[in-house]
Amino acid sequence: MTDAALTRPVTGVPVRRNKRIATIAATCAGASGIAVVVVGSLAFGNFGIEPDFSARLLPPSLAHWFGTDQFGHDMFARTIHGLKLSLWVGVVAATLSTLIAVGLAILATTCGRWADILVSFLVDAAMGLPHLVLLILISFALGGGTHAVIVAVAVTHWPRLTRILRAEILQIRHAEFVIASRQFGKSWWYVGQHHFLPHLVPQMLVGLVLLFPHAILHEAGLTFIGFGIEPTKPAIGILLSDSMRYLTAGKWWLGLFPGLSLVLLVLCFDAIGNGLRLLADPRQAQT
Amino acid sequence: MTTMAIIRNLSLVALSLTFGLSTPALAAPKSELVLAIGGEPDQGYDPLLDWGRYGHPLFQSTLLTRDAQMNVKPDLATQVALSDDRLTWTIALRSDAKFSDGTPVTAEDVAFTFNKAKTAGGALDLWVLKQARAIDDTTVEITLSEPWITFSEFLFTLGIVPSKSYGPDYSRHPVGSGPYEMVSWTEGEQLIVKQNPHYYGKQSPFERITFLFTGDDTSLAATHAGQVDVVSVPAPSADAPPAGFKQVVVDSVDNRGMSFPMLPDDGKTTSDGYPIGNDVTSDLAIRQAINLGVDREQIVEVALFGHGTPAYGPADGLPWSNPKAAIAHDPDAARALLDAAGWAAGSDGIRQKDDVRASFSLIYPASDSTRQAIVVTVAEQLKALGIEAIPQGKSWDVIEREMQASPVLFGWGSHNPLEVYSLYQSSWAGQALYNPGYFSDPDVDAHFAAAQAAESLEASYPHWQAAEWDGESGFSAKGKAGWAWLVNLDHIYYVNECIDLGATQIEPHGHGWPITSMIQNWKWDCE
Repeated sequence: MTDAALTRPVTGVPVRRNKRIATIAATCAGASGIAVVVVGSLAFGNFGIEPDFSARLLPPSLAHWFGTDQFGHDMFARTIHGLKLSLWVGVVAATLSTLIAVGLAILATTCGRWADILVSFLVDAAMGLPHLVLLILISFALGGGTHAVIVAVAVTHWPRLTRILRAEILQIRHAEFVIASRQFGKSWWYVGQHHFLPHLVPQMLVGLVLLFPHAILHEAGLTFIGFGIEPTKPAIGILLSDSMRYLTAGKWWLGLFPGLSLVLLVLCFDAIGNGLRLLADPRQAQT
Repeated sequence: MTTMAIIRNLSLVALSLTFGLSTPALAAPKSELVLAIGGEPDQGYDPLLDWGRYGHPLFQSTLLTRDAQMNVKPDLATQVALSDDRLTWTIALRSDAKFSDGTPVTAEDVAFTFNKAKTAGGALDLWVLKQARAIDDTTVEITLSEPWITFSEFLFTLGIVPSKSYGPDYSRHPVGSGPYEMVSWTEGEQLIVKQNPHYYGKQSPFERITFLFTGDDTSLAATHAGQVDVVSVPAPSADAPPAGFKQVVVDSVDNRGMSFPMLPDDGKTTSDGYPIGNDVTSDLAIRQAINLGVDREQIVEVALFGHGTPAYGPADGLPWSNPKAAIAHDPDAARALLDAAGWAAGSDGIRQKDDVRASFSLIYPASDSTRQAIVVTVAEQLKALGIEAIPQGKSWDVIEREMQASPVLFGWGSHNPLEVYSLYQSSWAGQALYNPGYFSDPDVDAHFAAAQAAESLEASYPHWQAAEWDGESGFSAKGKAGWAWLVNLDHIYYVNECIDLGATQIEPHGHGWPITSMIQNWKWDCE
């Protein structure tokens, strides 16, 4: 009996899924998804912007992967163009938001109690207002268009990141190297520049990437309800709101593919953001 | 076994009884209708504030009316006469008409309605009216300050209100001599009306009508659920009527056309400081080339899904339009015209003359997807001619600021020749939305003056036609080409198969409500 137990074939060590490799793979997949959009929109040029009246409202086929719309625009090209526009809005808006957040966080932690109270108040106030309503107000006040959407998205997405960064700095503030630096007579400004900022970079990067999906979705939402980008431009929100008119006529491809692509793009950014967070954070110990 | 058989037989009898009983109930002619045709009036149901301009005023009746072929029929008036100097209308009224509260309609009420409408500050322009007064109980005399034949349109559209009970809340609680009276109006949701028992005319077989003011999608969904009898549908979804419904397509003069700024841009501005003029469209060759070069059939096909007709003038199909003014699609002639005028193709395919590029913004109201589709199609067609039209969706506020300097895609279409006058009369340039391009032509003005001085509306028709094209000149594409008229929209309805709408009029601008103009002739057809 004992023999039997001893001679039992040794099962191989279960292949442990290497989490780090999985994370890196997911991140790369996300990044390549975004690269496809950028390269695709450059490759398509004016294709999808120029109409072709001989190929109107065609269902998806090999020639037109996502079908065509009322004017014979290729919906695949149009969707890629729309995603690129979304990316562009996302890049500018997320970068501006991050800059605002970093500036406010450093201000709150280095400029004394009143500055902290003021920033906290601003964060609470901005978070207390309904997001979409604020977006509509700003976009409308600026007269609509791409610029208005970028500004509106940029100045509404900083509060959450500000709060995170502020907490992070407060932690570092009591670290021994900071206390030492202070006792060497360095100013808060010097400490902010040389000790806080380098520590914030990972948080900033992750925050920046995770702001993208928000910015993109809000851009699409704002455009969908008609307060955003000019209605003749190929933006995802416009494609989606246009498709509403054809839903009852059975033209399902006009809404399905742009919507799905938007979700995929958002997931790409989510994968990158999560990957960066896991890889940059030593406490996750993904080795 | 026997008990089983008996039970089975009994249940069969019961079954046939239920069916037997319910069948007549199902087949009885329907006396209530639910319509989802949009068109809720912002200002309520007061004719003095523009109610009833399109379609039937329901609650009120008018002095005259038109049948499906646009022939004049008497309504409240039995006789209408215009004096030789064209300044005095004498109108004889029927004596049996009553308002829905039971009080009789008198000449006093008619005079009150006209005098009040002049000062009410609505969209009605009664500037030419001097005075209306009751001569006796059934005769009204209306005097004008100058000969103005289009005044007669008010006899068709101005619903008569009771002078005794007319007050500030009239628009929410209308009382009139029309075929229906109001039951309730929930703003933004629905209007319910029922038959007016005092109505003097032919009663409709439908005793109660509900008008739903829902969005296109909601209305269509309600139709699929069988809750609506008549629904107006937008062109993209107009080809698949639900089971039990038929598609009714009505011709219209609901046109879409692009305005042309007629003056060159030499720094002039309106009294509000907005710029006037455009160096491209002020050139006759450009305007005529656009008129020749756009493929109207293709616009109908692409932008309207085939639900429309090409438009050549502002009143196609109406007796005061001139069919001879129509032009054929001829892009080669358009190009030749541009070449001859010195517009030579530049490196990017867009023509140029001296240092002016053949390029302009083509503005449309951003919220109107049909106009957007038309603009996009036109822009593509013009590119083939070497003219660049840049589609720009704007709000109406912005359009009013920019329409003197850039072409705008407008929608017009009315049963009144005054509209033609307002679009081309030089002295009306820049007033409200009229004549936005500052069109000005002495010949056209002279024909208009002759038309307004005619002895009757019918007698004025040739003058309107001559203004459009008199063989040598006119406002149409063959002449000064003040506008490029593009398409007339078909109005499309899904109608319950059991409802017979009878003959329909050529419908004016304003989708939906115009279908009601013949509402008294509607019938329930199923037995």
